[in-house]
Amino acid sequence: MIDRRRALALAALATLAAVPAAADTYPSKAVTFVVPWPAGGSSDLTMRALAEAASKHLGQPIVIENRAGASGTAGPAVMAASAKPDGYTVAQMPITVFRLPHMVKTSFDPAKDFTYILNVTGYTFGVVVKADAKWQTFDELMADAKANPGKISYGTPGAGTSLHITMEQIAAARGLKFTHVPFKGGAETNAAVMGGHVSAVADSTGWGALVDAKELRLLVTWGAERTRRWPDVPTLKELGYGIVSNSPFGIAGPKGMDPKVVKVLHDAFRKGMAEPVYAEAMRKFDMEPFYLSTADYDRFARETIEQERKLVDMLGLAKKS
Amino acid sequence: MELIDSLLLGFSVALKPVNLLYCFGGVFVGTLIGVLPGIGPVAAMSLLLPATFAIPPESAIILMAGVYYGSMYGGSTTAILVNIPGEAASVVTCLDGYQMARQGRAGPALGIAAMGSFIAGTLAVAGLMLVAPWLARFALRFGPAEYFSLMVLGLSILAYLSHGSLVKAVIMAAVGLILGLVGLDSITAVPRLTFDRMELVDGLGLVPIVMGLFGVAEILANLEQEVKRDIFASRIRNLWPSREDWRRSAGPLARGSVLGFVLGILPGGGAVISSFISYGLEKRLSRTPERFGKGAIEGVAGPEAANNAAAGGGFIPLLTLGIPPNVVMALLLGAFIVHGLQPGPLLMTQNPAIFWGIVASMYIGNLMLLVLNLPLIGIWVQLLRVPYRILFPLILMFCVVGVYTSSGAIFDVYLMIAFGIAGWLMRKLGYEPAPLVLAFVLGPMLENNLRKALLLAHGDFATFVERPISATCLGVAALLLLSPLVPRWRARRNTIALEQS
Repeated sequence: MIDRRRALALAALATLAAVPAAADTYPSKAVTFVVPWPAGGSSDLTMRALAEAASKHLGQPIVIENRAGASGTAGPAVMAASAKPDGYTVAQMPITVFRLPHMVKTSFDPAKDFTYILNVTGYTFGVVVKADAKWQTFDELMADAKANPGKISYGTPGAGTSLHITMEQIAAARGLKFTHVPFKGGAETNAAVMGGHVSAVADSTGWGALVDAKELRLLVTWGAERTRRWPDVPTLKELGYGIVSNSPFGIAGPKGMDPKVVKVLHDAFRKGMAEPVYAEAMRKFDMEPFYLSTADYDRFARETIEQERKLVDMLGLAKKS
Repeated sequence: MELIDSLLLGFSVALKPVNLLYCFGGVFVGTLIGVLPGIGPVAAMSLLLPATFAIPPESAIILMAGVYYGSMYGGSTTAILVNIPGEAASVVTCLDGYQMARQGRAGPALGIAAMGSFIAGTLAVAGLMLVAPWLARFALRFGPAEYFSLMVLGLSILAYLSHGSLVKAVIMAAVGLILGLVGLDSITAVPRLTFDRMELVDGLGLVPIVMGLFGVAEILANLEQEVKRDIFASRIRNLWPSREDWRRSAGPLARGSVLGFVLGILPGGGAVISSFISYGLEKRLSRTPERFGKGAIEGVAGPEAANNAAAGGGFIPLLTLGIPPNVVMALLLGAFIVHGLQPGPLLMTQNPAIFWGIVASMYIGNLMLLVLNLPLIGIWVQLLRVPYRILFPLILMFCVVGVYTSSGAIFDVYLMIAFGIAGWLMRKLGYEPAPLVLAFVLGPMLENNLRKALLLAHGDFATFVERPISATCLGVAALLLLSPLVPRWRARRNTIALEQS
């Protein structure tokens, strides 16, 4: 009994002693990077490119672990519950991490359970209609929706996604009413708008090839600036909506990480973002780099949690407590 | 002839030695993962994808496509030998395939599955080549209302899936529907039946349910009655389908191919649904429906042809419109983009060598699969001679590893075990798992499309009968459901129902 107690005390001492040493020698082994999507999707592929680019600057391999589920929150949730804040486990944080806790009971609290490291990127979203549709511009679509409440239907890849929430924000801003039709994923939305089952689709760039082939018409993109691939298409901001929606995602670790370790990780990923291999992956999937420093990302996370709470309330999706 | 020129171009790409090698590698890996329960093409392809970054795009796509249709080939093997569906599309193959194996006819069952897969796969590629763009356009006419009616048609074959009590089949279907409700409501994102558990937010996985209900339950049942098992292993008769087998299978193969091809083009689980519908169709058309569920070779030939044709059909919307109809095709879309290609209407004109190269490689790949699989049948059948006390821990291990790799969640392993025990109890009480699986697959799609269609029609139910495709599907479903009321058909249904006693 005494032996075991002594052993425990020794072990505790050893860990205490090891803390400063660990931060000084970090990183001394491979870092696990939890990607909360199945392998092979666009998010996964760009994160793999980033991991490869950043590992050069970190001096240790960064190993991707795919842990999909619960709208992209399963990975961060498992990390928050089980990983040590030693810098050897980090996760990609999709926007649902800030949103889902307002909608269902989750095992994590985004305000308390993570150490935010940096924000890296955002998606390119946009609204498309069929090429032979009567609406030539986004304003025409909006005017039609205003004149005929509920007549204009739009598809999204799912209820409660950033696409759905932003479209409802737009509708609320102009005091009009759309009919929202949530599909499962991007493939179904494209088929629905091509087949004329919905008037428009709000989605990430899965429609790219169809826009280039002049099967679909891109009316508006939602980034801060116009896209490189479709420079003629205006942004929501230009059209006077004052909305930028790109579902940004960053990287975080479990709560209580040593600031020194956070700095090492931040610097490695920051430099990785500048590597050509990452830029190339971003370009292929029409994503935009969106860098926020550790302090800015932490503030952004807290603002987003609050903003998501309001939006979820507005849409009537809030959990009952 | 433009088509011939295009095909020649395609074969000139596909017949390059390096591409032949990738094609073979793909179908070989595909066969392996198809045989191993649980590990599906999605897991294998996503692991392979990063490894293809360095090779030319057409080789990468040829390799990945090979894995997919190869796995459809391999999936029937475990279904027939040990009653474990290698992937979800093989669930119905279990029904009669495994019964054939128990009668010592594992060889013919495997043989017809391989030949059926080859024939359907080749027909699907031919279809892909000839009517791809036209069919893809036709598939776009399927909106929510059409899907809903198609799902109703799918569910109406429920009665043909069970060879026991219809009441019990309906009970099982109801359980399947309820299990399908678990997770976030697909229209409003409100959680249902999740009991505040994060694991349940995304709903229950099909793979653990299927492997539990069929595979684990089978093992539990076998452990109770080990003696019987040795009898059917020692009674292995001829290895190849007989002339009689062929005569019975010809119709199902042809119908299954067409059905699978057409449904494979539609987004959303075409392979699984088409195999179920094919089974129902064959049982309905058969003069001896009472043989189904007891080792009827038609019940293997039709669904196997259907799921392989669906695999081929799935390429059509991806290659011609850039719209992936299922998860596997979505992965393939990612592979295209990584290699700097955009599948869509422009692919055929901008990159003809790649488009036709892939089509040609699928002809070659199907041939390779046949050559690879026919000699394997003898080996698989010998596997049945392995004593069960050695075989069952291995099967169980593969099930656990397979389920864990496909989702990475230990919860799914528990789920499989729970469904295994449930499946064993169901079997003791005379409840069959197939209607449950059918309802579990179709239920969520049925609900989602019903609600989407009503949203679009502003709540007007007339939308389902005003749209011609939808009305046709509903009409056929009504015919199937009402046919027992007509005396001549009722006689047949009674013979089906009687056989349980």
